[in-house]
Amino acid sequence: MIRNWTKAALLGLALSTTAVAYAEAQGVLTIGRREDGTTFDPIATAQNIDFWVLSNVFDVLVRVDNKGEALVPGIAKSWDISPDGLTYTFLLRPAKFSDGTDLTAADVAYSLTRIRDNELSLWSDSYKIIKDMQTPDANTLVITLSGPSAPFLSTLAMPGASIVSKAAMEAMGEEAFAEMPVGSGAFMVDEWRRGDRVILKKNPNYWDADKVSLDGVEWRSIPDDNTRMLAVQAGELDAAIYVPFSRVDELKMDANLSVVADPSTREDHLLLNHSHPGLDNAKVREAIDYAIDKKAIVEAVTFNLGEIANSYIPKGALYHSDDNGARGFDPEKAKALLAEANVGPLSLTYLVDAGDQTAEQIAILVQQQLAAVGITVTLQKVDPSQTWDMLISGDYDMGVNYWTNDILDPDQKTTFVLGHDVNNNYMTNYKNDVVKDMVAAARLEMDPTKRAVLYAEIQKQAKSDVHWIDLYYSPFISVTRKGVENFGQNPLGRFWLEQTTKNY
Amino acid sequence: MLVAGVGILAAFVILAFMAPYAAPYDPIFQDGTARLMAPSPAHPFGTDNFGRDVLSRVVWGARIDLQMAVIGVVFPFLIGTVVGTLAGFFGGWVDVMFMRIIDVVLAFPFLVLMLSIISILGPGLSSFYIAMALVGWVSYARLIRAQILVLKTQDFAVAAASLGFSRTRIMFRHLLPNALAGSLVFVMSDAVLVLLSGASISYLGLGVQPPLAEWGVMVAEAQGFMTQAWWITLFPGLAIVVLAFGFSLTGDALADLMGVRE
Repeated sequence: MIRNWTKAALLGLALSTTAVAYAEAQGVLTIGRREDGTTFDPIATAQNIDFWVLSNVFDVLVRVDNKGEALVPGIAKSWDISPDGLTYTFLLRPAKFSDGTDLTAADVAYSLTRIRDNELSLWSDSYKIIKDMQTPDANTLVITLSGPSAPFLSTLAMPGASIVSKAAMEAMGEEAFAEMPVGSGAFMVDEWRRGDRVILKKNPNYWDADKVSLDGVEWRSIPDDNTRMLAVQAGELDAAIYVPFSRVDELKMDANLSVVADPSTREDHLLLNHSHPGLDNAKVREAIDYAIDKKAIVEAVTFNLGEIANSYIPKGALYHSDDNGARGFDPEKAKALLAEANVGPLSLTYLVDAGDQTAEQIAILVQQQLAAVGITVTLQKVDPSQTWDMLISGDYDMGVNYWTNDILDPDQKTTFVLGHDVNNNYMTNYKNDVVKDMVAAARLEMDPTKRAVLYAEIQKQAKSDVHWIDLYYSPFISVTRKGVENFGQNPLGRFWLEQTTKNY
Repeated sequence: MLVAGVGILAAFVILAFMAPYAAPYDPIFQDGTARLMAPSPAHPFGTDNFGRDVLSRVVWGARIDLQMAVIGVVFPFLIGTVVGTLAGFFGGWVDVMFMRIIDVVLAFPFLVLMLSIISILGPGLSSFYIAMALVGWVSYARLIRAQILVLKTQDFAVAAASLGFSRTRIMFRHLLPNALAGSLVFVMSDAVLVLLSGASISYLGLGVQPPLAEWGVMVAEAQGFMTQAWWITLFPGLAIVVLAFGFSLTGDALADLMGVRE
C-alpha cells in the first residue's frame, strides 16, 4: 500500500513538474537569426537587425499593414490632412508605456523632434520637412510641414520614427535607454545578453494586450546558417529567419516544420561605378546588362524562389512599373555594343563581402558571364567592415548590394538611388539632371495618378541609363515548428509577433 | 612506408601535370543544366551548385595545392637554414639578434600572424607565400642552429678550422650537410601544415580567389550545401587528407632512413 502511495506521489510530482515546464515553454517564442542587434535607440540605426526587433518594442503613429499595401492606424487612431497638404492632425488612442505611464502627444512630438534634430539620428533629412508640432491636448498632435510632401505619412511608419517615452529617456539618458528601452509596443525588453540573445516579455500595458498570445519572444543569434536550421529541426528553436534558399526544399519535407515565404521589398542589384573609365560609357553599361543572365542567377542562387528584377522599385511595391524597357539576356548584342563603344579590352574589379555566400555565388556567376563577352572580372574579397567604406569612397568598379524598403512610399529609395543625394546616388556616381528633377517633382505631387506617371517615366529613364543593374527580387524566408501560427513579416520586414501564437 | 608515401606524392604530381588530360571537363565551366548532380558516370564526383564538374576541379586543384605546399615550404626552409647556420656558427651578438627575432615571431599564434600579414598585403596566393616565408622560417632556423652548435665543437670541425679553411667553407661544406637531416624530415611534416594552412586561408577567402579550383576553397564554397550535396565537400576534403597523409608517410620514412629518431 505504502509503496503504491509513494509511487503515486512520485508520479504526481513528475506530472506536475512537466506540466509546469510545459506551461512555461508554451508562451515564449524563440527565433534564431544571424547576428545580434546593436541598439534599441530607434533613431540611431538603419539596420534591419535592429528595426526588426525594435518594431515590436515600440509603436509608431501609423503602421504598414501585413501585406505592405496600406497605412493603418498605430498609436494614431485617426488623422486628418488639410486640403493644402501642410497640416496633419492626429488623434491618438489611449495608450501606456511599458513602465505604466501614459503615452501622450508630447511623447510623440518629442520622438519626432529627436529623429529630426538629434545628432545621433541617421534619418534627419527625411524629417526636416516638419516645421512645427503642436499638442493642443494630450491626445492630439498637429504637425505643420514646410511644404507639401506625398511620402510624409509613410515616413511616420518607419521604425526610426518609433515613439519613445520622453520621461524615461530623460531620466535614463540616451545610452542607458538604448540598452533597456521604454516603449509602448506589444513586448518589452526583459534582458539583453549582448552578442547572444535579446529576451522580450509581453508588455502588460500594451494597448491591445488582450490579443497578444505570446508570453515573450527570444531572439537568439546563431551566425552559421546550417547550425541555425539544425536548431529548428531539433526543436531547440521555434523559428528561424534567413533560411538559405538552398535549404528550402529539404526543410519543406520535414513534417515538423513549416516554411514561410513572405513577399518582400528586397532587391539585389549590381552597383556600377559610373565615374570609372569604361563604365562612364552608357554602351558599356548596357552591354554588361545584356551579358548578365539573370535567369541563371535566379536559378543557381535563389533556387527559383526569387524572380528576375526589372526595376529598382520592387514588384508589388507602390508605383512599380513593368514597362520600363528592361533588357533580356543577349550576349551577342552585348559583344556588338562593346565593339561599338570601342573602349578596348575591359578589366573590372568586383567587390565581394568575404564570407557572404549569396554575394559570392552571384560574383562567380557574373564573372563567368562577363568573361563570355570578353570582359575580365577580378573578384576582390574584402572584409564586410571595409566594403562599405570602399563603396562610399568610390574605390570599386562593380559590386553586389541589396536594399529592402523602410517605408511604403518609393520616394525614399528613389531619392537615395537617383535623386542626387549626398551619397552620389548610392555610390554609383550616376548623374542625370532630368531624372533628378522628376524625383523632386514626384515627391511634391499629391495626385496618385500623376505620381504613377512620373515614377513610370523615372524608371524608364534610369533603366535606359543603366544606373545600376537589377538582378532579382526575393522573398523573406523563415521556418517554424508546426504549431506556430501566424508567424511572418510584412514586405518591409516588420514581424507581426503580436498576432503570432504557439500551440504546443 | 617510403614507397607508399612517395607513391602518393608521385601520383598527385603526375595528376597535377596531366590535369588538362586527366580532367574530363573545364574546371571553371558552369553548366546551368547540371547543377548539384549526385555522382554518376558522367560526373563521377558529381557537380557543384554552379554545375561545375567536381572531379575536374579536384584534379586541377592538385596543381594549386601542390604548388602551395612546395613554395610554402621552400622559402622558409632556405631562409631558416641560412639564419640558423649563421646564428649557430658565429654565436655572440649574431645569435642573440636572430634568437630575439625568432622569439618575437613565436610570441604570436601562427594563424593570427598569417592572417594579419595577409590582410595587410591583400588576399591572394602571393600574399600567402610571403606570409609563409615571413613566419615559417623560425622553426628551421632553430632546428639548424641547435645542430650547428653541437657539430661545431666536434673533431672534424675543429680539424677543418685548424687546416685553415675559410669560415664559409666550414659552415656550408662541413657543418651544414651534417645538420640537414632533421630539417629535411621536418620539411615533410611542415608541408602538411602549409597545405592545411593554405586550405584554411583559402577557406577564409584570403587565399586562392574564385573561380580557380583549390581544395580549401571548394570545401568553403560547398559548406552551405553539405546536407543536400555531400559530394562537393567530401572529395576535395579527401584530397587534402590523402595528400597530407602522403607527406606524413614520406616524412616518417625519411626519419627512419636518416636515423633522425635516435
